[in-house]
Amino acid sequence: MNGTSVLLPPNSLAARRRRVLGVVFRDFVALRRNPPRMVEVVFWPTIEVVQWGLVSLFLQSHRVPTAMALLLGAVLLWQVLQRSQAELSLAFLEDVWSRNLLNVFVTPLSTSEYLTGLLVVGTLKTATSTALMATLAFALYGFGLVSIGPALVPFMAVLMVMAWALGIVAMATVIRFGASVQTIAWMLSFVFLPFAAVFYPLSVLPGPVQAVSHAVPASYVFEGMRAVLTGGSPSWSGLAVAAVLDVVYVAVALFYLGYALRQARQHGRLSRFAE
Amino acid sequence: MAVVSVMEVHALRKRFGTVTAVDGVTFSIAAGEVVGLLGPNGAGKTTTLHMILGLITPDSGSISLFGRELARHRTEVLSQVNFAASYLGLPGVPRVEELLTAYAHLYGVRSPRRRVAEMVDLLDLDDLRHRPFRLLSSGQQTRVLLAKSLLNEPALLVLDEPTANLDPDVGDRVRELLLETAARSGRAMLITSHNMREVERMCDRIHFLAGGTIVATGDATELAGAYGVADLEEVFLKVARE
Repeated sequence: MNGTSVLLPPNSLAARRRRVLGVVFRDFVALRRNPPRMVEVVFWPTIEVVQWGLVSLFLQSHRVPTAMALLLGAVLLWQVLQRSQAELSLAFLEDVWSRNLLNVFVTPLSTSEYLTGLLVVGTLKTATSTALMATLAFALYGFGLVSIGPALVPFMAVLMVMAWALGIVAMATVIRFGASVQTIAWMLSFVFLPFAAVFYPLSVLPGPVQAVSHAVPASYVFEGMRAVLTGGSPSWSGLAVAAVLDVVYVAVALFYLGYALRQARQHGRLSRFAE
Repeated sequence: MAVVSVMEVHALRKRFGTVTAVDGVTFSIAAGEVVGLLGPNGAGKTTTLHMILGLITPDSGSISLFGRELARHRTEVLSQVNFAASYLGLPGVPRVEELLTAYAHLYGVRSPRRRVAEMVDLLDLDDLRHRPFRLLSSGQQTRVLLAKSLLNEPALLVLDEPTANLDPDVGDRVRELLLETAARSGRAMLITSHNMREVERMCDRIHFLAGGTIVATGDATELAGAYGVADLEEVFLKVARE
C-alpha cells in the first residue's frame, strides 16, 4: 500500500491521539477566527448572571431569605448543563452547515475519536463561560460559586455528563431526521428544565412530575445545591443515583447515535448532508 | 508481475424505496490504474462512490479495499483512501493552512506541518494559505479540497466531478498534476465526470452506468468503436438517450 511513509500506523495510540487533536485543533481555529462565536460563548452567560442577580437583589430587598444564593447558584449550574449540551451539538452542526460532514466521515477518524474531540473543545468553552459567570456573580453580587463547597465537583461532573448525553442525542437526531430538525441543538436541554427542578424544590412539583424528575440526574444536583446553600449537606446517595442515571443516559445516547448512523448509511441520508 | 488489486466491487446493489439506484455493479481497480464512472444524472455513479467510501451501506454485494472489507477494517482502509467532490465544502472561517493542518491530523500524518507545506507548494496555494476558506473563489476552494485529498498520499483517490468548478486552464493543470502524482506513487483513481475530454485524457478504463447498471466498459477508443461513433461525447449521448 502507498501512503504508509507519511502516516502513523492507523491503529496506533499516536495516530488516535493525533486524530482527536485534529478535531480539537479544527474547532479551536474555527472559534479563534470567529469573533461572533467567541462573543456568544460569554454573552448569554453574562446576560443570565446580570439578569438573575438583579432579580435576586429585588427578592432580597423584600426579605426573601437566601434568594441570592439559590437563584445565582441555580443559574450558574444550569448554564453548565445548557452550554455543554449546546456546544457539543453546535460543533457537530458546524460540520453540517459547511458541507464538511462527508469529508470528516471518510477520514479514518472513528465516532469515539470524533466525540472525544468535540467533548474536549466543548468542555473548554463551558469552563471558560462558567469561570466568567462565577467571577461576575462574585464581583457584582458577592456570591461565590465555591460556597457550595466540595460538592461542587460532583455537581458539575453530573451536569456535564448529562449534557454530553443530551448533546449526543441531538447529534443523532439530526443524523436520523436531517438538518431540518437542527433546532433540537438549542431546545433539548430546555425540555429537561422543568423536571430538573432548577429554580424550585422538587416538592412543589405534582406527584407524577416528581416521578419523572427522579429519573433526571440534574434534579439531584439542584436539590443538593439548595440543601448546601441553606446550611444542610447534599444527599450523597442522591448523587450516586444521579451518577448511575448519567451512565444510563450516556449508554442510551451512544446506542441511539449508533442506530442513527446505521440508519443514515442504510437510507443514504449521510450523503444528503452534502446537498 | 501480478497486478495488485486496490479495490474490488462485486454485485453491488442499492435500492432507495422503490428506486433501484445501483443494480449489480461489479468492477475492480488495479494499483496505478485510473478508472472512470460515466453516466447520465441518476445513473448511480455517486451512490456507487459513496458505498465504496462507507457513506452508504449496500443492500447486497461486497466491497473490498486493499483486500480488506471496509466495514471491518474502517480505520486502516480509510487511512489509505481520500475523496474530493465539487459538492463538498470545508469550514468557512479557518485559514486554508489551518484547515489542511487539521485534516493532516485527522489522517494521522506523521509530520503535518511539513506535509501541508508540500501540498501548498504542489497545488500552488501559497497566496491563499492565510485566507479564510469562505473568501476563496469556487475554483480556489476546489484546489484546496484537492490538496486535502492528497494529504495522506492515498493509494486510492476517489474524485466526484473533481474539476467541475475550475476554469479550463486550471482544470488542465490539475488533471496533469493528478496524473503525474498518481504515476509517480502508483496511486489508483476512481473518477466521475461529465467532462468527456477529461475522462478521455485521464482514464485507462471507463464504465458506463445507466439505470444503476454497467452497460459498457472499455477505454475511450474501444467504447467509441463499440457504439459506432466518433468519440466519448457521442457515446454518452447515445447511452443517455437509449
